[in-house]
Amino acid sequence: MTAVTRGALRIGMVCPYSFDVPGGVQNHVLGLARYLRQSGHRPSVLAPGELDPAAGRLEVEDFASVGAAVPLRYNGSVARVNFGPLSAARVRRWLRKGNFDLLHIHEPITPSISLLALWAAEQPVVATFHAATPRSRSMQLAGGVLRAAIEKIDAGIAVSESARNVVVQHLGRDAVVIPNGIDVDAFAPRTAELPRPSDHPKLIFLGRLDEPRKGLDVLLEAVPLIKNAHPDLEVIVAGQGSRLLPTWCRNLGTITEQTKIALLSSANVFVAPNLARESFGIVLLEAMASGVPVVASELPSFVDLLWPSHDNEQLGDVFTAGDHRALASAVLRVLNQPSPLRAARAQQAARRYDWSSVGASVLAVYRAALAAAPARSKVARSG
Amino acid sequence: MSSVEIITLVIIPSVIIVALIAGWRITWLATRVDRAQARAERTWAVLDAALVRRAQRALELILIPGIDPATALLVSDAAGAALEPNLSRRDRESAESDLSHVLDAVGPMLPGSPDNLESERARASICRRLHNDAVATALSLRRRYTVRMLRLAGRAAEPRPFEMADGSICTLTAGPPDSPPSSLAYVPQPSTQPSRDLR
Repeated sequence: MTAVTRGALRIGMVCPYSFDVPGGVQNHVLGLARYLRQSGHRPSVLAPGELDPAAGRLEVEDFASVGAAVPLRYNGSVARVNFGPLSAARVRRWLRKGNFDLLHIHEPITPSISLLALWAAEQPVVATFHAATPRSRSMQLAGGVLRAAIEKIDAGIAVSESARNVVVQHLGRDAVVIPNGIDVDAFAPRTAELPRPSDHPKLIFLGRLDEPRKGLDVLLEAVPLIKNAHPDLEVIVAGQGSRLLPTWCRNLGTITEQTKIALLSSANVFVAPNLARESFGIVLLEAMASGVPVVASELPSFVDLLWPSHDNEQLGDVFTAGDHRALASAVLRVLNQPSPLRAARAQQAARRYDWSSVGASVLAVYRAALAAAPARSKVARSG
Repeated sequence: MSSVEIITLVIIPSVIIVALIAGWRITWLATRVDRAQARAERTWAVLDAALVRRAQRALELILIPGIDPATALLVSDAAGAALEPNLSRRDRESAESDLSHVLDAVGPMLPGSPDNLESERARASICRRLHNDAVATALSLRRRYTVRMLRLAGRAAEPRPFEMADGSICTLTAGPPDSPPSSLAYVPQPSTQPSRDLR
């Protein structure tokens, strides 16, 4: 048994999105890197942009930057991308220097360093598919080059069944479903004794303010209906982007992880009114972990979280996506008849997504991919 | 330009270029076919080993103090059948599925919690998905017209997905992922265990 299948691993992780901006994929990469380091492995993260050292979530030697990403308008929104020979050369240099046992590439089929790393990889590759974005047209047009790159993936991971479906249908591959991880203890022990000021209920929304699919408009439309019964309702929104908001809505803008945790544990209800295309729903999970009652639109990934098949009872309220009346009545149910028991069960359910178990599953995929790697790469790297 | 010049300056170079491109593309395709088939074989070896480990861990259940004889017999029958040497592919699939069903059924009734059995079950399920994924890639390449016409797949047997019931799989727990296997095991050595060193 060689060092590679048993001992400490050198893992190169590639994140296509810059750490300058907050995001689900970035948080996932940081959380996983920290878990791997704590388990005695040696992760190294390559990403565009810089890492805020004040955030203190990753050792500096774990991080390498590929330079700034270029904003490019395509597919109907502005994407930050990396491409071209300079980026490719930097990725290759990082690969050479790192001498990794295994590469873990996030969102491999995006015009980014992820695809460049996949193209240049000589070691076993594990790839995680986060977004449920179909790319069949690009697959047909780019043809063989993209297909051959996809064939280089030794083990695929999808963060949800819906992300896996996209991998199966549009890329012709399969993936092990491993959900996103969170640090449950950071959100957890909300002091149950601390009474919520029911006379002054707080409603929280977290997510980009200017992106329609996050559904803030539906919430804003519903608030007057809620305020009929609860005139003193406090509505707090936090997230990137600027937009005009009603005066009764408090906007905190971009917030730190600590503020988010404090905010969640002081709220009476958390609302996730997303309209579409949410492949996992990490914020919903964080809200569950902090013990705040949640109200979410009926998207498949949200239902997976709030109504797991092996539990008989729902862990939160769902409403038809886009229906502000249904949202309002769901929020009123929560405010009028709070169920601490249900919130506690949701908190318990969130434990399954703690890094301790999610990370162990990712490591199991690493071991399986390494065990199935060609002998050549193992001999070259076990010495 | 005479016809001889046209042939030497235009047609011959064009034919050479087309032939080079075609040759390069065929070589490239052959490399991909080869890589996909090799991965299907290696993932099968890994899955095979994972299934053997799962059955061995299952056999350890009968050593749990306080287990009733009927449960012990049920488990040892199912695990023994899965470890039977020289099973045909179809028989192996059904034996492994039966073992999954038995483990699901007896799990809630066991006095102890066999943690390493649960993680072996999860690992076997991961290995099976990776194998079937590799098989699907190999098959889709083998079905291509060019690959079939030029017999780029060589004489390698067509890979087949391994179809079985995984049963209910728990999420992996923290624990040291590399803890050595328990030494309690009664270890039959089935010939289905691949002879070459997998790791």
